[in-house]
Amino acid sequence: MTTSDATWPVTRSPDPTSVVAGIAVLALGVLLLLDASSTLELSFGVLAPVACAATGAILLASGMTRRR
Amino acid sequence: MTTDDTTQQLPPESPQPRRLLRSRSDRVIGGVCGGLGRYFNVDPIIFRIGAVVLAFIGGAGLLAYLAALLLIPSEDSPAAADAPAGRHRWLLIAGVIVLLLVTWPFLLGGGLLLAGILVPLAFLVAAGVVVWWFVSGEGPGDDAGDIAKRAALGIGILALCGLIAIAGAWAAAAGGESVVAITVIVAGVAILVGAFVRPVRWLVLPAVTLAVSAGVVAAAGIDLDGGVGERDYRPASAADMRDTYQLGMGELVLDLRQTDLPAGDVPVGIDLGIGEARLIVPDDVCVATDAEVGIGEARTFDRHNEGVDVDVEDLPGASPDTTRLVVNADVGVGSLRIGHSGADLDLDRGQFDRGHFDFGPRFGDDLGRNLACDA
Repeated sequence: MTTSDATWPVTRSPDPTSVVAGIAVLALGVLLLLDASSTLELSFGVLAPVACAATGAILLASGMTRRR
Repeated sequence: MTTDDTTQQLPPESPQPRRLLRSRSDRVIGGVCGGLGRYFNVDPIIFRIGAVVLAFIGGAGLLAYLAALLLIPSEDSPAAADAPAGRHRWLLIAGVIVLLLVTWPFLLGGGLLLAGILVPLAFLVAAGVVVWWFVSGEGPGDDAGDIAKRAALGIGILALCGLIAIAGAWAAAAGGESVVAITVIVAGVAILVGAFVRPVRWLVLPAVTLAVSAGVVAAAGIDLDGGVGERDYRPASAADMRDTYQLGMGELVLDLRQTDLPAGDVPVGIDLGIGEARLIVPDDVCVATDAEVGIGEARTFDRHNEGVDVDVEDLPGASPDTTRLVVNADVGVGSLRIGHSGADLDLDRGQFDRGHFDFGPRFGDDLGRNLACDA
């Protein structure tokens, strides 16, 4: 093993649940920010499907990760 | 001596009793129904359906499942491997006795007090286990100690999420929606970066809770500007009227029956966060309404709308010598009532029972008709 090999961190695959959850939370945050800046008017007709989709995606990723 | 002789001299081997163990391979939650199915040689789906049905009939199925989860060892747990059959049998008998003691009030249809405590507790423990399962990836576990510990941790996270939801909703309603949105975005970035460095899955549930609670407040249009309490306005003339009557939370009444209103359009705004807003107008005034209710109901004279995202746009015209009140109302959560004499049923404080939260005139109460407008 060379010195350069030792300094590089071991490559690991990202946690899929965290990737999906991070994107979902980020999307919810952006939605809130758009509403706060009056760019978008948030209503339950928008919030309900987005929140359900985000939660569903997180649970799906979590379930698929666990099965592997 | 032959081999056959030797065999005949040995005492007959007693058959091993079947052991009731939670299944590792056939499990949905804790393997209880899978284990029962194998023990009784029956398809486990029958036990699963029975448990679900009993869970909805008084909660007995949930309690029974929880008790079985605590009492029946998993088939790969050290307790199952080491425990002698005799001890296991006594454990099973003890488990059945505990199960009967716990579930008899529900099975007999009695024990409402017990049901009132134990059923919510059972739901709470189950929710705690599921939450911890999601957060940490650790399932219900193999022994009672593990289950109790994981349920306690999950309940702790749920309690934390409850506090976060209240704080987030309050902050968003008090005008800090941008701060909440940025906090959610930062949490999302942290979770995303953590996926590549060190996962922080415990942050997911609080972040989603914060986002959804603030989102509900934003979608309902709840704004706590204007204070909290009861407001009762009876202006004498149009000059005394405000552009917008605002209240954060509570009851807002605008009574215009004694107000001197000029002919032509008279605009008025009503902005209520949570509660009830009532506008009472004279019989000879035409009312044009443009209103939004996030969650709740809007009653304008003989029209009634309720649900979420309620939009009311009723903009009739009026002759030039008639007063036309142009109402622009925004209610976050609650009710909006606009009408004639029927809307003041509880304005006289002496006749109104303040001991309970009353949304005013019930559906069917007469709010009059908007007859002063042109047809």
